[in-house]
Amino acid sequence: MALTTVPDPTRRGTGSARARHGAGGRIRQSEGLAGYVFLSPWLVGLMAITAIPMLLSLYLSFTNYDILTPFSEVEWVGLANYERMFTSDPSYWHAVRVTLTFALVAVPLKLAAALGVALLLNRAWRGVGLFRSLFYLPSLLGGSVALAIVWVNMFNRDGAFNSMLALFGIEGKPWVNDPDWALETLMVLAIWQFGAPMVIFLAGLKQVPTELYEAASVDGAGRWRQFRAVTLPMLSPVIFFNLVLETINGFQGFTAAFVLSNGTGGPVDSTLMYTLNLYIKGFTDLEMGYASAMAWVFLIAIGVITAVFFSTGRFWVHYSDGEDR
Amino acid sequence: MHPATPPTAGAPAGRSHRTPRRRLLRGLVALAVAAPLVLGAAACGDDSAGDDGKIKLSIFWWGGEARAKLTEDALALYTKKNPNVTFEKTWQANQGYFDKLATLTAGGNPPDIFQIDDNYLAEYAARNTTLDLTSYSDSGKLDVSKFPKSLWQYGVVDGKLAGLAAGENTQGLVYNKTLLTKNGLPEPTTGMTWEEHIAWAEQVAKKAKVPGTMDPSADYKAFWVWLRQQGKDMYKGTELGFTVEDVTKWFELWKGARDRGATPTPDVIHEGNATDITKQLVVTGKAGTSWVWVNQMPELKKNTKDELGVVAYPGDPSAQWARAAMYWSVFKGSKHKDIAVDVLNFLANDPEAVKILGTDRGLPSNLDLRRVVSDDTTDPAMKQSIAVETELAQKFGQSPQVPIKGHSKVRAELIKAAEEAQYGRLAPAAAAALFMDACKSAIA
Repeated sequence: MALTTVPDPTRRGTGSARARHGAGGRIRQSEGLAGYVFLSPWLVGLMAITAIPMLLSLYLSFTNYDILTPFSEVEWVGLANYERMFTSDPSYWHAVRVTLTFALVAVPLKLAAALGVALLLNRAWRGVGLFRSLFYLPSLLGGSVALAIVWVNMFNRDGAFNSMLALFGIEGKPWVNDPDWALETLMVLAIWQFGAPMVIFLAGLKQVPTELYEAASVDGAGRWRQFRAVTLPMLSPVIFFNLVLETINGFQGFTAAFVLSNGTGGPVDSTLMYTLNLYIKGFTDLEMGYASAMAWVFLIAIGVITAVFFSTGRFWVHYSDGEDR
Repeated sequence: MHPATPPTAGAPAGRSHRTPRRRLLRGLVALAVAAPLVLGAAACGDDSAGDDGKIKLSIFWWGGEARAKLTEDALALYTKKNPNVTFEKTWQANQGYFDKLATLTAGGNPPDIFQIDDNYLAEYAARNTTLDLTSYSDSGKLDVSKFPKSLWQYGVVDGKLAGLAAGENTQGLVYNKTLLTKNGLPEPTTGMTWEEHIAWAEQVAKKAKVPGTMDPSADYKAFWVWLRQQGKDMYKGTELGFTVEDVTKWFELWKGARDRGATPTPDVIHEGNATDITKQLVVTGKAGTSWVWVNQMPELKKNTKDELGVVAYPGDPSAQWARAAMYWSVFKGSKHKDIAVDVLNFLANDPEAVKILGTDRGLPSNLDLRRVVSDDTTDPAMKQSIAVETELAQKFGQSPQVPIKGHSKVRAELIKAAEEAQYGRLAPAAAAALFMDACKSAIA
């Protein structure tokens, strides 16, 4: 599954931080060996289920591999798959458009919702813990198939959402079965699952020293000013982290689109997300070589987007402790 | 087993410019493929030589629990008669079945025997995954003498018998009897024209307040029957058997029906297109008729309290044919080919086994045994579909060729194009042009 092997920034971040702290002493050889022995299950796993399959899929992306033909008979086609993708496959570009639309709309709204609710819940109310859990719940159900099925039923023509609208005298739409609205329904589902970034925002908000707010208010800054001058800059590393993570998640949206359209990307290709298109090409159309090429372009595209984020991050992400930079 | 064979000199051309990097990659490929094979071989080392004569065949099918029970019983009977043969049985729902079958095949351990349908038979046969059963049927080890000729021939791909029909089936128009009786409306009949059918459906919509018919413009089997009535066919050799004008006419026919209110709205049609048999519109009460396969009747019955009836698709029923509801195929690389074929023969021709299997995979292919089974059955829904199939069988035309490689893509493209027209995003002619373009690249 090459499509899920995008590096996970969470792990990367904490891992390197640890290493920095613990890199002081010289490790004796036997300890080093023991380390590798303890590491070996993970190393074997990495090689067997990540590295080798990835290289394999890179190789297959230059072939006409169709999943049924044995490897020994696979034909090398050079860049033909990549050429087809960019020049003669309208469904490819359609899926790219759908995915970009989805990510461009759903990701910022999801982050805004997460930040907004985090600000609300960052107070010492009574029962605030309960609310935090409740808002977090939808994200726990994350990629679940059950949730997507519930969504389909809620946003049918005779689903719960339209019944609710009817109470106000509004006539609903067949949201999930309408090509003009199916993708929007998926976006709402994605935005609704804002719990994970919300929890991270909450943790970030807790880190902002109260002295800063006190100082700001002494200087006569109002609520909005405090938010812009203190909260946002102090929170920028967390915003950055969430932005990168959620963008990657947004591009990889698969489960909901798959369930909602019964694996087809319909109605009329309106929910044909990149990964869904890739899956259809690989498993339904039996064009695994082509699907592998799509996966690699996807990996590179996400890499480029992440790199762009990192390069622009310099201008707006502030780290309070200078030594960390 | 061929996937394990390391790349040798005789293999495909284009080798000459092999670089060291490619050699490394090939090595990795071989390693990745070989590892599971080695492990697998260690786990089940019973080759046909068989030290103790025990043989284990793997068998994989899709279907519900009822089918699983029947199949397991039939296989147990085989084991009882051939104590040295046992089965490793795997089954699952239709959704995801072919993904898994393809993955198993890619991993080098496909089942010895697997169920397949005409959407994928040509795909698998063209890739040499299925065993050619011709020599077995010639020698009589696989007895097809009691099969209707057109039925077993519907398993022939490129001159090779790629699959054995597990049952016979045909297209059926299922209608809600209760709804019609309640509103004093006539039932549809076999042989009514398409125009008559749509007019009737409009009548139903007016009186019963339920659109009379599902809009089948996205349904390849309805399109196919209609094409055959126009003297065309879905495929001719490796080409499409129809033109853009045919598709336009077909889409226009249904645009007319939608405009007259004879069919549900596009979103409801889409719902019917995108879901499985249990949510067909005739069952959910959103349309008076659904376009299905006759052997799906019992499954439909299970999901509604209303009484259902079934007739042929509109137009001349000779456009319909005895279709293999599904097939049994043997993996070409199986270590126990002869025994696997013997199992196929048993499932099709052993009186006891056929009785156990009943009509779950369609009417039994063996005509002698079909009579026995139809006399025995007590299930009213099955009785009905047997009656319809038997009645229609006399009017059936010749089977078309098995759909070609790329057929599953053509089906998906038909749904897309038809929905463009249904949602009114494209005129019928434009949707038809879109479909033709997509088809050409799908079967290229």
